[in-house]
Amino acid sequence: MLKFLARTTALAAMIAVTLPAHAETLKMWGPEQITEPLVAQLWNGIKADFEKANPGVTIEFMPPTGTISNGAVQAAIQSDAGPDVILTNSGIGRISVVKNAKQVMPLTEQYEKRGWKDQIYPWLYTELKSQFGGEIYEVPDGLDALGIWYHKDVFDQAGWKIPATWAEFEALMKSIEATGLQPIAIGPRTTGSAGHLFGNLLQSASGKEVIGKALRREIAWDDPSVAAGAVRLQKLVEAGDIKKEMAGLDLDGASRLWFNKRAAMFVAGPWFTANARKAGYDLTNAGYAPMPSDIKGAAIPTGGVGWSWLVPVNSKQPELAMKWIDFTLSDAVMKKRAQDPASTMIYPREIPGVEPPTPVLKEIFAAAAGGVGYNPSVYLPGPVLDTYFQVIQGLISGQIGGEDGMKQIQAKMAEAK
Amino acid sequence: MVIPETPGKVVAPLSTAPAVAGHTGGTFARMSKRGVAGSGSSDGDAGTAFWLMAPALALYAVFTLLPIAATFWLSFNGSAGFNTSASFVGFDNYAKAAQDPIVWKGLAHTFLWLAYHVVMAGGLGLLLALAVSRLRITQVFFRAAFFLPHLVSLAVVGVIWANIYDPFFGLMNTALTRIGLGAFTQGWLSDPALVLFSVNIASSWQGFGLYMLLFIAGLQNIDHSLYDAAEVDGANAFQKLIYVTLPGLREVTTFVVSLAMINGLKGFATVFVMTNGGPFYQSELITTYIYRLAFQSQDHGLAAVLCILLSLLAIAITIVFNRWRARLSQ
Amino acid sequence: MSVRNREWPVALALTPALILILAPFLWLVVSSFKTEAEIGRADPFTWPADLMWRNYLDAWQIGGFADLVGNSLINLVGVVVLSLVTCAPAGYALAKIRFPGREWLFYAFILGLTVPVQAIVIPLYQVLFGLNLVNTLAGIVLVQVSNGIPFGIFLMRSFFIGVPDDLIEAAKIDGASHFQILTKVFLPISTPAVQALVIISALSTWNDFFLPLIVLISPEVQTLPLGLVRFASTYASDYRLVFSGTVISFLPIILLYILMQRRFTEGLTQGAIKG
Repeated sequence: MLKFLARTTALAAMIAVTLPAHAETLKMWGPEQITEPLVAQLWNGIKADFEKANPGVTIEFMPPTGTISNGAVQAAIQSDAGPDVILTNSGIGRISVVKNAKQVMPLTEQYEKRGWKDQIYPWLYTELKSQFGGEIYEVPDGLDALGIWYHKDVFDQAGWKIPATWAEFEALMKSIEATGLQPIAIGPRTTGSAGHLFGNLLQSASGKEVIGKALRREIAWDDPSVAAGAVRLQKLVEAGDIKKEMAGLDLDGASRLWFNKRAAMFVAGPWFTANARKAGYDLTNAGYAPMPSDIKGAAIPTGGVGWSWLVPVNSKQPELAMKWIDFTLSDAVMKKRAQDPASTMIYPREIPGVEPPTPVLKEIFAAAAGGVGYNPSVYLPGPVLDTYFQVIQGLISGQIGGEDGMKQIQAKMAEAK
Repeated sequence: MVIPETPGKVVAPLSTAPAVAGHTGGTFARMSKRGVAGSGSSDGDAGTAFWLMAPALALYAVFTLLPIAATFWLSFNGSAGFNTSASFVGFDNYAKAAQDPIVWKGLAHTFLWLAYHVVMAGGLGLLLALAVSRLRITQVFFRAAFFLPHLVSLAVVGVIWANIYDPFFGLMNTALTRIGLGAFTQGWLSDPALVLFSVNIASSWQGFGLYMLLFIAGLQNIDHSLYDAAEVDGANAFQKLIYVTLPGLREVTTFVVSLAMINGLKGFATVFVMTNGGPFYQSELITTYIYRLAFQSQDHGLAAVLCILLSLLAIAITIVFNRWRARLSQ
Repeated sequence: MSVRNREWPVALALTPALILILAPFLWLVVSSFKTEAEIGRADPFTWPADLMWRNYLDAWQIGGFADLVGNSLINLVGVVVLSLVTCAPAGYALAKIRFPGREWLFYAFILGLTVPVQAIVIPLYQVLFGLNLVNTLAGIVLVQVSNGIPFGIFLMRSFFIGVPDDLIEAAKIDGASHFQILTKVFLPISTPAVQALVIISALSTWNDFFLPLIVLISPEVQTLPLGLVRFASTYASDYRLVFSGTVISFLPIILLYILMQRRFTEGLTQGAIKG
């Protein structure tokens, strides 16, 4: 009897000793908005749930110091103190940069093994599969839907509304300008933000199909049907509807104009709610509408994959990282996030019966329900992205015309494989 | 045995860390005159010498010489990032660099940047030195006050001035509007013709303090009897400036110009923080392009070529100024 | 005689220049006490309604400035001490001990003066990575010292050359080794050069941005300039925090300067400039 007890105690002791020995830390890079208190609250809740379900595991958030576009993610992966799993802005262009530098691991197997392929929209899975010859390096976490944010009170007072045709939209901008407000604020120094406005203009001028063809290289970017959007931007800058001085602004500088109501409109996505909250802007006053278009069915938000999970090749906790991704893809977590006021994006699969608590988010989800157009920033190959963003800067600062700009983009597209 | 009070004259290398390029010319000239070979003991103390130099040699070899050599090697090998292996591509990267319009733009901007820096920072330093050196009671105050910007890191200067230049909320445009000069407001960081200049103002604002101090020291070294002699000849203030002061400052001026150029070549922080080379490459410098290639696009071969270009520029400037100084001291 | 009369007119003439040059500081400090809304109104000539000391408290806590200052201090002390330890003996050896190849070795060191650090950054990073020194303060100290060795050696050597050789002969007769000569005879009289080296390396290390940008990735090891730029971009929509954080970042050095002003300027403009 004693012997049995002794052995059991010894066994129990061994187990007790080894269990905490598995106390592991998963370092997570992101999310981008974690410095906003409500977002931090949501994620701390998710972290707590995961830690409860996996005793001995701790999640440590690493507030992002930047994105793939400005090299911060690459620098972090490169350093030895790097993250074990990353949540950052994605899209084929950005992913290809880190994939080519061999900094992230392929996750294709996990999609099959862990059933991730059934947990995202089918069209999303097909799209991902087609990008790198069948290999997938990211797990989408959020989709973007970019459209026009406007101030309900300012518009109501002046009797304005977002019209249905482009000509009326131009006229609207003229009336806004006449009152001394900036019609549209834009911060091209933040490359992503530049792409939001430009993508909307391209979509509105050419429609989803044409832009899709251009992205698949079936039409050239300097073909007039595609360049139309760039030419529109050029004309807006020439007409003074978009001030050249904005070329020196970044996202925060431009959104500052909007939050202070010195600008009437701003192109952004659902993530803008976090920026607004930080700036103390009353979100019930925010209105959202897609950019008007003369093409039938083209007045929709643009978007695509916004943020994805990546696993660095030197992740110290690859298994744990996969487990974490499983967790975030689960129904429970997705519902929790969708219903939280800090919700900042559209989810990668349908979540039935969930209503976002913030009114403007409702408007965005409704607008995106019929499908979104392409945000080229997320679909362009890596080497083209830099030129793409620089051309937008050039257009806004009046240094280059629409057609020339598109020619430069086309040249890069032809080069890239 | 007499121990001198102020042993020797320290050949004034007066600057923030490695930037005394122009001064080595003076040293070389002096060396041949006095013959450094004549200084020191000649016992076979090579062993001791080695150990005395060992720490410096070790660090320098690993962290400076090795990377210099490696950069050469890297320029002949392609590489897509730190995790990939390099493959020999010969002069491909050099060809790519020669055909890249951004490289040429960067080069042109770098030269322009140097010119701006020398004229603005050097010029302001000279002007203020001329004025401040005339003061007695208040000199310490003004000198200290004018030196304050130099204490701020260039990166922090970038943050401050980026805010000042904000076209809608920044000090520059709002102040101009408030004092009635609203017509002069600009897109300081957005106007392609202005952006490099605007960023350079910030950089020169930070830099001029040191040059001012150098000029003040130089002014104090001008023999006062020269001024008296000029008075006797009936020279007015302006003529004294042209015929006594400026010639007397020739050496210092050469030094300051070479220092400003070397410092200008290293210009990175302000541009990086304020515009990151934009808009549309209008403020791209060789240094910012190197950073982007090396750490964002991860094209190490091309970046290495630019690194060599940068080094060559630095060496060229050094040699030119060495020659000039050697000629001056004859 | 006429020089004295010129003082006040010149001082008066300089005052507008003073105001213009110090205006950014003034604006920054005043704005750092405003509320976000007041900053949004963007009137440079209004005073804040209340002095928002809160901005400083918030910036300090959120910005982790305590860590940043701590890291910068460790960085500074490391660089200054190591610079002296490496450059003084080497400068002495190059100045006072004749050995074959002395000239060439000196030229090799001078090479480092001309090559800007941006030009060697990729292999430098790889070396650090290989030595496991990326993202460490030790790593950045070593690189910054190496960067400053050409200048430091040049400085110490120039100074030591000026010291008469008889001192060495006399000490040798007393049986001193070179090391003892260096420490007991030369160093005590080289205060000007040491002062210059300390101040110059201290200032350049405290304000360095490029090397920390490359080497220090995680917030825990970052130094002040890097930390502030990161802070400014993360909290870019909280201008009150950016402004107060910026003031916090340069306050220590400005205060130090005001206290030690004479030593500073002496150290920087040491000696004659004549060739």
